[in-house]
This record gives sequence, C-alpha cells and structure tokens, in this order.
Amino acid sequence: MNKDKQNLEDQLQLWRQNKKKENLKYVLLSAAGILSVLVIWQLAVVLGLVNERLLPAPTRILNTLIFKINNKAPDGNMLGVNIMASLQVALSGFLAAIVIGVPLGLLMGWWTYADRFIRPIFELIRPVPPIAWIPLVVVWMGVGLKAKALIIFFTAFVPCVINSYTGIKLTSQTLIDVSRTFGAPNYEIFWKVGVPSSLPMVFAGIRVALGNSWSTLVAAEMLAASAGLGYMIQIGRTVARPDIVIVGMVVIGAIGAFLSMLLSRAEKYFLRWKINR
Amino acid sequence: MPNEDTRPIKVEVKNLTKKFGDLLVLDDMSFHIRKGEFVCVVGPTGCGKSTFLNCLTRIHMPTSGDLYIDGVPADPKKHNISFVFQEPSALPWLTVEDNIAYGLKIKKLPKEEIKKRVDQILDLMGLQEFRKSYPGELSVSAEQRIIIGRSFAMQPDLLLMDEPYGQMDVKMRFYLEDEVIRLWKELGSTVIFITHNIEEAVYLAEKVMILTNKPAKIKEEVKIELPRPRDITDPKFIEYRNYITDKIKWW
Amino acid sequence: MDQKTTKQKAVHSILYWGLPVLAVVLIAVGWISFSAFNPELMPSPAQVWERLVKTFTKPIAKTTLFGHAWASLRRVLLALLVSWVFGIAFGILIGWNKKARAFFGSIFEVIRPIPPIAWIPIVIMWFGIGEFPKILLVFIGTFVPLVINTSTGIEMVDRINIQVGQIFGGKNRQILKEIVIPTALPSIFAGIRTSVSSGWTTVLAAEMLGANAGLGSLVTRGWQGSDLSLVMVSVITIAIIGALLSTILQKLEKVVCPWNN
Repeated sequence: MNKDKQNLEDQLQLWRQNKKKENLKYVLLSAAGILSVLVIWQLAVVLGLVNERLLPAPTRILNTLIFKINNKAPDGNMLGVNIMASLQVALSGFLAAIVIGVPLGLLMGWWTYADRFIRPIFELIRPVPPIAWIPLVVVWMGVGLKAKALIIFFTAFVPCVINSYTGIKLTSQTLIDVSRTFGAPNYEIFWKVGVPSSLPMVFAGIRVALGNSWSTLVAAEMLAASAGLGYMIQIGRTVARPDIVIVGMVVIGAIGAFLSMLLSRAEKYFLRWKINR
Repeated sequence: MPNEDTRPIKVEVKNLTKKFGDLLVLDDMSFHIRKGEFVCVVGPTGCGKSTFLNCLTRIHMPTSGDLYIDGVPADPKKHNISFVFQEPSALPWLTVEDNIAYGLKIKKLPKEEIKKRVDQILDLMGLQEFRKSYPGELSVSAEQRIIIGRSFAMQPDLLLMDEPYGQMDVKMRFYLEDEVIRLWKELGSTVIFITHNIEEAVYLAEKVMILTNKPAKIKEEVKIELPRPRDITDPKFIEYRNYITDKIKWW
Repeated sequence: MDQKTTKQKAVHSILYWGLPVLAVVLIAVGWISFSAFNPELMPSPAQVWERLVKTFTKPIAKTTLFGHAWASLRRVLLALLVSWVFGIAFGILIGWNKKARAFFGSIFEVIRPIPPIAWIPIVIMWFGIGEFPKILLVFIGTFVPLVINTSTGIEMVDRINIQVGQIFGGKNRQILKEIVIPTALPSIFAGIRTSVSSGWTTVLAAEMLGANAGLGSLVTRGWQGSDLSLVMVSVITIAIIGALLSTILQKLEKVVCPWNN
C-alpha cells in the first residue's frame, strides 16, 4: 500500500518538474522572439540596409529615451511632463465616463422607461467615431483640459453604457425570483442582484473604454495640444526626428499596457468570486 | 405521531385555478396544510407541479382562487416564504455565510439574530469550514445544500422545494434527504416538497399529495404513517410506494 | 403582477412610445436654440442641410460628397481584405500552436498596446500622405483586434470537442479545420466586427491628419476654414456610414453563425 503511494508521489513530482521545464521553454521562446526582432533591426541599421534617418537603431532610440527624461527639446517638455499631461486628460475623461456611463447603462437596462427616454440621445452619440468629435469640441471649448477630457469622455462613455446595459439585462431570472419570494422590492433587487451580476460585463466595457480613451487621447493631442505624448510625436515628425517619434510610440504603448494591467488587478479583486466551470 | 392531527392550519388553498391563455393548467385545487407538516407533491411529468408552486410563491398569480397563510391572504412581503428551485440559485458573488443570510437581510432582521441563525444552520449542516468560500468553489450539490440552508434559516411560514435533488446521484440524495428531515425536525418548518421520485416522497413525507395529469387536480392525499428514520426495504414502505406509483401510472 | 388594469396598460403605452419622441424633440429643440444663440459655434439644421446640398453642386477638391465617402470606404475595404486574410491566419497560428504563441506572441504583445493612431506620424514620415500609407494604417488598426479575437476564440475551444475529434481518429489538421475553427467562428466574427469599426475610425484619423480626399479631409477642411456646416455634414455622413456598416455586419453574423445567441 505504501509502495503504491510512494510511486504516485514520485510520478507527481516528475510531472511537476516536466511542467516547469515546459514553462521555462516557453518563456525562453518569448524572449527569443523579441530579442531576434531587436537584433535584426539593429543589424539592418548598422549594416546600412535601412536608412538611419528614417528608422533609427534600437540603441539610438534608447539613447533618445534617456535624453528626453531630462531634456525639453525638441517639443518643449521633458518626458515626464508629457506623460503627466497625457495621463491627466485621459484619466479625467475616462473616470468621468465610468462614473456617469456605468450607472446610466445599469439604469437603462433595468428600467424600461429610462431606456426609452435616454436611448435616442445615446444612439446619436454612439455612431460618431470619437475622433470626429475633436473639431466640434475644440470649436466649442478651445483646446484646454476640459475640452480634451470631454472628447475622451465621449469615446469611453459608449462602451461603458453598452456593456453595463447588456450585463444587467442578462441577470438570471432565477435569482430575481428568489429575491422576490423573499419579499424584496424592485430597487433592492436591482442593487443586490442586478448590479453584482452585471459586474463581469461592466469590467469588459471599462476595458474597452480604457483602450478607446488612450487611443483617442493620442489623436486629440496630435490635432490640438501643446503638451502630452501625442503632441510630442507630432513635433517629432515635423522636425524629422523619427527617434523621438518612436520613443513616443513606445512610451504610449508601455503606459497603455500598464494601465491595462492595473485594470486587470482591479478586475481580479472585484470578480474574485467568479470561477468558470 | 398522533392519530388525530391537532396542529393548527398553516396554509389554506381554496379553488386554485391557473390558466395560461386558454390552456387550463391547474383546475380548482383545494387543500390545507398544517403547521410543521411535511408534504410531498407527486404527479406525472409535466402535470403542472412547478406552476403549482409558482402560484403559491406569487411568482405567478392564479387566475382565480385564494391562498391563505395563517388565515391571511398570502403576501411575500408580509409572510416568510422560502423557495428552493431546481437549479442552484446561490448568488455567486456572496460567500456561503452571506448566501445563507441573504433572505434574512432582505427581511431586515437584527444583526445578532442573523448571526445566530447563520451559525445554527452552518452547524446543523456541517458547513462551518466553508463559510467564507464562494459557491463557485464548491460542487453543485454543496451549492444546493447552501440554498436549502438559506431557506431554512428564514424560519419560513412556508418552505417550498421544487425537485431540489433532481440532479444528484443516489448516495448524495440519501444524505441530503436525511439532512432536510433533520433541519425540518429541528426548526419545525412547514414544507411542501415536489418530486417525481416516489421513493423520495415516501421517505420524506407525512402526507403525499398526488396530482393528476393536466389539467391538474388533487387526485388523492395519502398519509404516510411510518416511524422515522424510515427504512426503504420495510414491506410497509414498499406497499406505500407501490400504491402511489400505481395511482400515477393509471394515467 | 401578471394582470394589469386597462388604465395601467394605457399609461404604459403612452410612456413607452412617448418618451423616445420626447427625447428626440428635446434634441431638436436643443440644437436649434443652441445654434440660434451661438451661430458661430454651431450651425442650424437648416444651414447644415444647405451645406449638404452644396457639396453636390460645388464639389470640394473636384469630388462630391459621395466621392469623398467612397474614397474613405475604399481605403478601409482594401485594408480590411488584406487584414482579414493575414490577421485570421496569424490568429489561428498563435491560437493553435503553443510554440508559435510563445515566439510570435511576445512580439505581438509589444506592438499591441500602441494605438493605431500613434503610428500615423511615423508612417507619414516613411511613406508620405498618399493612398498606400493610409491603407497601411488601416491595416495596422484592423490587424490587431482580428488577431486577438481569433487567437482567443481558438484557444477557448473546449478541450472536450477536440478530444471527441481525436477519438474519432481525426488528424491534427483535420481537427483544426472541422472542429476548432467552426467553434471559434463567433469569436472570429467578433474580431471582424471590431476590425471594421476600428478601421473606420483609423481611416478618419489618418485622413484628418493629412489627405486630399476622404471624409476625414472634409472635416479638417471645414474646421480650418471655419466652415462648421461642412464639419457637421461630414460628421453626420461618417456616423451614418459607420452605423450602416455595423448593421450589415450584424445581419451577416446571423447568417454565418445562426446558432450563436
């Protein structure tokens, strides 16, 4: 009996070790992927296969990145200032969209009359691509923080509303019935069943909103701003400095990924009860 | 078990009729249930057992007929009605102990009372070690037990169960049936239990109500006079079981 | 709860049909009064209509409104065709093959967070503002959602379905073709839908930042020339086309994936 148990434990150990080896293999492959791209790139520039004035080498880009941290040239702001400016605009529009959009979507999904009234207004906003709002908002409100935040608001608002609406519409009728037999009034069922049950979809909507916000921010800054990462890229283009442009792109991507990771953390916490069977 | 049932009447149903459009599902059903009684309802598949329960819980309103609890027309806001559905209906985002407390919180019971009852149920069902777990982490049968615990915690006027063990395997069923009897004895609730499993009905019930095919009427009420714990191999048990099975097969 | 009195039903009807009408009326009134009080900020509906008509009689850059709309659409469609082929193929590759996912997926994950719009300056630096760079940009914008949705769809195919295929003696490629891809079809379609809307917004951005033809260029032209009516006409056209594309795709999805509900 003991021999069998020992055998099983040995097998388990072996399986675990193999799993670790496999995972390591994949991690190495991933690193190899990125490294090979960088190496090929660097070689292409060094060997003159690619015009350095169009596509600088990765090493040059790294230099520029470090340079920008403390230098205002050529766009007039240090890197940190640009990052802050972008984040400020993006986050204010994004958070406003969540605070207004999610409750609105939930209410529209639960109460028919709210849906009937707000829907036409919403359907007017929805098909307009966010970037098309830029000229209108700029004419109405200038190029200040409020104007840009409003543009971001429009693009983040739509997925928040749609997903919250869909999420709460999918509330399980069984759970609603359970609450009714306990004698809960409608608003209590909304709050105790509808809202928690819609959270997974709400988070999906917030995730889309985040992507939209960050993307539209870049566009808004390229068209109408004096600071920020989008602005920095635009200036980089006009002074023919591709290294600045690429540094900007990389930083934009990195911050976008970082914000996305923060959202995932929050999602893990709020949805910790959710297990996919 | 006294031969003369002197318990007060808890639930009185008069002329319960339910139509969906032109389709007559429940036909003029009248019966009463005493306080603390455990009644099983059996009938052919599709005869309207679930509709029957839904009318009792006011999820559907009957086309005509009256339902009285303690002599007063039934109202989920006033009365304590608990319902256990066929599908597990635990709220996935609440822990086990919060799920059990769910109905009590809706009824706005004081905090200490809620805590006391939740602890009592957790103890009675042996779920103490899972109190902080989420339903998604437990098996389907565990989830259903939580629901039953939630229902009993309400100390309801009326506890309705719609084939709650329909999806469990045999061994789990026996365990759960003993558990529900234990809870019932301890808390003295009035229970209406729907099942299509005759053996289960005879095992659990003090009285078995047999429904006819659609449109459903009450065919017969059979009193089960067997001591507990019941033995499914006992000849008298088997006699009851066969009797009821025949009554249903006849249709 | 089931039965309502006739009076309740009447009130419900009035609210049900009346509320949306009320909303539309409020919007119209809002627009008209806003433009009346702030004519330099917002043209009136009448002015916008006039401007719309004028685009046909006095074409801009020698093209009517339809011409511009078509210019935009054409770029999107061309890019989409390429993007669909490569995006779905790549998505299937990294969804199906773990090694490919590790190697290429990592590169993809680095490119992915960069919004397509951020590519515009570098693409303009490399290729100018002609047709090709625009199509390239739309390709970049549409490639990403396609790959993500396709690979996720493939990854999520229930192991059970795959195992069933293996029991029936299917070879890997067969399983891929006959079980995995059809199961992933709804996800792939979701990717297609996202790519279309993403493509439409990207082409707009690209045109707004440098083009002679296309609806985005009209917006910029109107904006810089303080011709707000033109801006409104373009924005409304953009919105209508966007909505049409979206509806067409929804209908298409019902045909291709009827089981998906």
